[in-house]
Amino acid sequence: MTAAIAQRDRWFGFAMTLPGLLALLLVVLFPILFTLWTSTSDFTLLKPSNDAFLGLSHYTQAFATPEFRHALSVTLAFVVAVVVLEFLVGFAVALALDKVEHGKAVYYVILLFPLLMNPIVVGLIWKMFLHPTLGIVNYVLSLVGIPPVDWLGVPDNAFWTVVAVDIWHQVSFMIVLLLAGLAALPKEPYEAARLEGAGTIRCFFWITLPLMRPVIVVTLLIRLIFAVKTYDIIYIMTRGGPGQATELVSYYIYRRAFVGLDVSQASAMAVILLLVVLALTAWLHRYMRSLAQ
Amino acid sequence: MRWLRRAAPHLVLIPFSLAVVLPLLWLLRVSLTDRRTAYQIPPEWSTPHLGNYVEIFTAYPFATWFWNSLSVALLSTAVALPLATMLAFAFARYNSGGAPLRLSILASQMLPPIVMVLPLFAVFLGAGLLNSRTAVVIAHVGMNLPFLAWMMIAFFEGEVRQLEEAARVEGATRFQAFWKVAVPVAAPGLLAAALLAFIMSWNEFLFALILTGKRTATLPVGLSTLDTHRGVEIALLAAANMVAILPVFLMMPFLRRYLIKGLSLGALK
Repeated sequence: MTAAIAQRDRWFGFAMTLPGLLALLLVVLFPILFTLWTSTSDFTLLKPSNDAFLGLSHYTQAFATPEFRHALSVTLAFVVAVVVLEFLVGFAVALALDKVEHGKAVYYVILLFPLLMNPIVVGLIWKMFLHPTLGIVNYVLSLVGIPPVDWLGVPDNAFWTVVAVDIWHQVSFMIVLLLAGLAALPKEPYEAARLEGAGTIRCFFWITLPLMRPVIVVTLLIRLIFAVKTYDIIYIMTRGGPGQATELVSYYIYRRAFVGLDVSQASAMAVILLLVVLALTAWLHRYMRSLAQ
Repeated sequence: MRWLRRAAPHLVLIPFSLAVVLPLLWLLRVSLTDRRTAYQIPPEWSTPHLGNYVEIFTAYPFATWFWNSLSVALLSTAVALPLATMLAFAFARYNSGGAPLRLSILASQMLPPIVMVLPLFAVFLGAGLLNSRTAVVIAHVGMNLPFLAWMMIAFFEGEVRQLEEAARVEGATRFQAFWKVAVPVAAPGLLAAALLAFIMSWNEFLFALILTGKRTATLPVGLSTLDTHRGVEIALLAAANMVAILPVFLMMPFLRRYLIKGLSLGALK
C-alpha cells in the first residue's frame, strides 16, 4: 500500500517537473552544449558548415592571448574592489539602519531605488553627470575649488569611476541582506555582554560578527558571482576603454564574438568564464546546504 | 551621551540617502528643462516644462521600445511562472529531482549572459528568429525560469502542509492539492516573484542587444542608442530615463516584503 503511494508520488513529481525541465534543457543546457561544441571546432557564423574538430586549441590560445589575460586581471581587480567596498559601505549603513530610532522606513525606501534601476539608465545618467565640461559633478567640485576631472578619459580614473558607479547601483543589495541578518539576531547575548561591561565595539567583534557570519558569507558570494558577470555598465559607460582599462571579461568576449566575429575563440573564453562562475556557484550551494542542516 | 547615541545612525544615513536621492532629483530636474537650459553650466533655473516627455515619443521610436519591453517582460514571465511553480512544488513536497535538481537550478540562474548569448545568436540566426521579440522572450524564459523556481521552492518549503494534507484526506488528488490549496496560499509570494521576474526582464540588456533589431529593440537597447544619436540630447535622455524607471518604482510597495527572499535566492527570510 505505502509502496504504491510512494510510486504514485514519484510519478506525480516527475510529471510536474517535466515541462520545466524540458524548457531548461532547451533554453539553458542546449546552448551550453552548443558553446562547448563551437569552442572545440573552427565554427564561424559566415560558414556554419565549417566545423572541423580542433580539440582544446582554442583554450590554450585563449590563455596565450595577452588581451584576454588582461581582461581577466581587470575583472579580478574590479570584482575585489566592488565587493570589498560595497561590503564595507553596506555594513556601515546596515548597522546604522538597524540602530536608528526614527525615519527607518524612509531611509529603507530610498536605498531600494538604485537597486531596481535599469543598469543602462544608471550608466547613462552618471555619464551625463560626469561629463568633463557639461556635467554637474565637475561644476559642484569647481564651487569648492577643485579643478575639473576627466572621469572617464584617463585609464585609472575610468576604472575607479566605473567602480564608484557600480557601488552606487549595487551597494543596496548588501544593505538589504545584511540588515535582514542583523534584524534576526537574538537579543540575549548582547544583554549578557552589557552586564559584563562590554562596550559597543566589543559587542560588535565578539557577538555581531560571529553571529552574522552565515549571512555575510552568503551575501558576499552572491554579490561576487554577479560582479564577475558585469557587462552592461561597461558597455554603456566606457566600452572597455580608454585603451583596455575597464575591459571586463564579459565585454572582451562580446567584442571578440560580435565585433571580431571570432565565435569559436570567444566560445572557449566564455566556457572559461562559465567554469569560474560554476565553481563559485558550487561553493555557494554547499554553503547554503550546510546552513540548512 | 544619550543624544549622541541616537544621532549617530543619522550621521551615516543622511549622507548616504543624499548620495542616492540627489542624482535622481537632478535627473528629474534635467528632464523638466528645455533643451538649451539643460546644457547650462552653471545651472540656470527655468520654469518646469513637460515638452521632453512628449518629444521622446515623436523624436524617437520610444513607444515601440516601451511596447517591446512590456510584451517581452510579460510573455517571458507568463511562460516561466507556471513551469517554475510546478517544478518548485514537486521539489518542495516530493523531493523530485533531489539535490542535483536544486544545484542545476541555482547554476542555471548564475550563468553569465555572455555565455548564453553566443550560442543563442548562432541558433536564432540559423532558425531565422534573429531580430524578433520571440528570440528575446526565449532567452528571458531561460533567465526567469530558474529564478522563479528558486523563489517558489523557498515559498513552498516555508508553507505549512496541513491544509494540503487535509485536502488529500478529503479525497483531493495531488494536483488538486497543489492547484486548489498550495497555489492560493502562496499567491502573494507568487505575485511578488512574478513582479521581480518582470523587472529582471524589463531591465535586461545583453540578450536584447544581441537578439533584437531596429524595430524589435527593447527599452534598454533603445536608450543605449540615444547616447550616440546626433549628439546627446540630455534633456530628452533624462526624460526617457525617467519613463524607463518609473514603472519599476511604482511596483516597489508590492515587492518590499519579498525583496529579501528574491535577492538572497531564498537563503534569507
